[in-house]
Amino acid sequence: MTIKVDRVKEYEALLDIYEREGLDTSLFGDRVAAIIISGDRIIGLNNVPGVEIKGEEIENGVRADVRIADGVELPFPIHLCTGYLKSEGYQRVEFNITVGKNSKARFTSHCIFPYAKDFTHEAISRISVGENSSVLYDDEHIHGEGVRMISRTEVEVGKGGRYTGKFSLTKQRARELKLEMTAKLGDGAVAEMTSKVKAVKDDSVEIREVLQLEGAHSRGDLKSTVIAFDNSKVNVVNEAYGLGDYAKGHVECHEVVKGEADVQTIPLLRVRNDKAELTHEASIGRINEAQLVQLMAKGLTEEEAAELIIKGLLGE
Amino acid sequence: MGMLCLRNVDYSREGRRILQGINMTFREGMTYSILGPNGAGKSTIARILMGELKPTSGQVLLDGRDITELGVTERAKLGMSMAWQEPARYEGIRIREYLTLGGKLKVDGDEIKEALELVGLPYELYAGRFIDKSLSGGERKRVELASLLLLKPRYAILDEPDSGLDITAGELIEELLNRFRKAGTTVIIITHHEEIAGKTDFAYFVCAGRLVKKGFSREVVDYYRKTCGRCLFVEGSP
Repeated sequence: MTIKVDRVKEYEALLDIYEREGLDTSLFGDRVAAIIISGDRIIGLNNVPGVEIKGEEIENGVRADVRIADGVELPFPIHLCTGYLKSEGYQRVEFNITVGKNSKARFTSHCIFPYAKDFTHEAISRISVGENSSVLYDDEHIHGEGVRMISRTEVEVGKGGRYTGKFSLTKQRARELKLEMTAKLGDGAVAEMTSKVKAVKDDSVEIREVLQLEGAHSRGDLKSTVIAFDNSKVNVVNEAYGLGDYAKGHVECHEVVKGEADVQTIPLLRVRNDKAELTHEASIGRINEAQLVQLMAKGLTEEEAAELIIKGLLGE
Repeated sequence: MGMLCLRNVDYSREGRRILQGINMTFREGMTYSILGPNGAGKSTIARILMGELKPTSGQVLLDGRDITELGVTERAKLGMSMAWQEPARYEGIRIREYLTLGGKLKVDGDEIKEALELVGLPYELYAGRFIDKSLSGGERKRVELASLLLLKPRYAILDEPDSGLDITAGELIEELLNRFRKAGTTVIIITHHEEIAGKTDFAYFVCAGRLVKKGFSREVVDYYRKTCGRCLFVEGSP
């Protein structure tokens, strides 16, 4: 890992947070392709054979290009670490990720804003998955209470490719979250996108997930799970478009409400090909009665049963 | 000797009478079946016993104490538990975690292994799996039965324990009954299968919300075999 000499302290501070939060610190090792961002600066960069990361410091943030060559299979995830160690401000990061043909890659993206009180983070990711390649993108957030987050991810999956995207904001507050994920699929391509969010107090959460099943035999699954507590407001829109022959998509949204939270979900399915097929499933409201009662019949109180169910839903 | 009783239990829903004048007694350490055709009200009896439903009138007594107003958790704490006809799915909860109730039930790995293997689920293949859509109905049913084995309740209510199970269901129920008998657990099996009912010590035959016959399971099963399919809830039924 190349660490700029004047930025060692920031690097160490981030590493400390990883340790404190129980995150995998081996992601900072030399065998892992990585870019470590703090504020508007690149404080660490590491390339490994088959992966080239180029970073550029821009106004209020960083732009990075990540290129994975054809036929590369990486034993370790590519680590995208975006940190902001001040309590106030604005940060914008852009990731342009291109994965060649017949490659297999995993990304671990961490957003670390532990002291945020009045901070806006804007992230734009454009991901191109080459023919017959497979990409897993895992996005996890660790931050203080005062974060406004705008995240937009645009994915294009080439013929026979596969993209799996996981977004999770369950350990800390999402004071204001706008999350948008779009996937456009080629012939035989597959995409699975899941988001798990916990909203508390007066958090505001907006999630929009879009699946464009353009290719023949393309397949996609969108799944959102939101647990809304207190006075939070949640709006989830899942869209799927069946355009290619024999394209198949499924949209699923589960929102559990506790307290005075205000939640809504809007599934939008549109087919423009009589060979395509789309389905959706949604549940909204209190925790499923049967799940509660069956756990209570084993001796748990209603609160304990709800806690266990929510823990499972959020994957904690 | 402890016992669980239903006394003159009626249950109506939306103006429709589901159960009428049900009297049943389940003595500690014995095994019972509640036998009857679909729609007879058997599962309603199970849910009333467990406290999920409150009877419209009548009482539920445990060791002479009126527990009619107690909820599900309170009854579970008194030693009652139930395996539902359709076990729920829990996203993100692994079987191991479910069986220990998220760590609240203090059982060790060997006990979990034994319980899972007794219900036909190899520990290595199943302990780490999620109780979600990836499990079939039959697999979830087996997990539910393993859960009751680990809980070791005084009263175990098994609602249609064989439904969704494969050809080995009969042997599994037999094995479970043996385990529960050894542990001194009273077992109440809800079933419409006479073969399953025949494995318990005593049986109650219920039809159209009324108790038709009670006695040793062999006698009740014989009666059920001869009469089921005809309207039985007539005056003077046994």
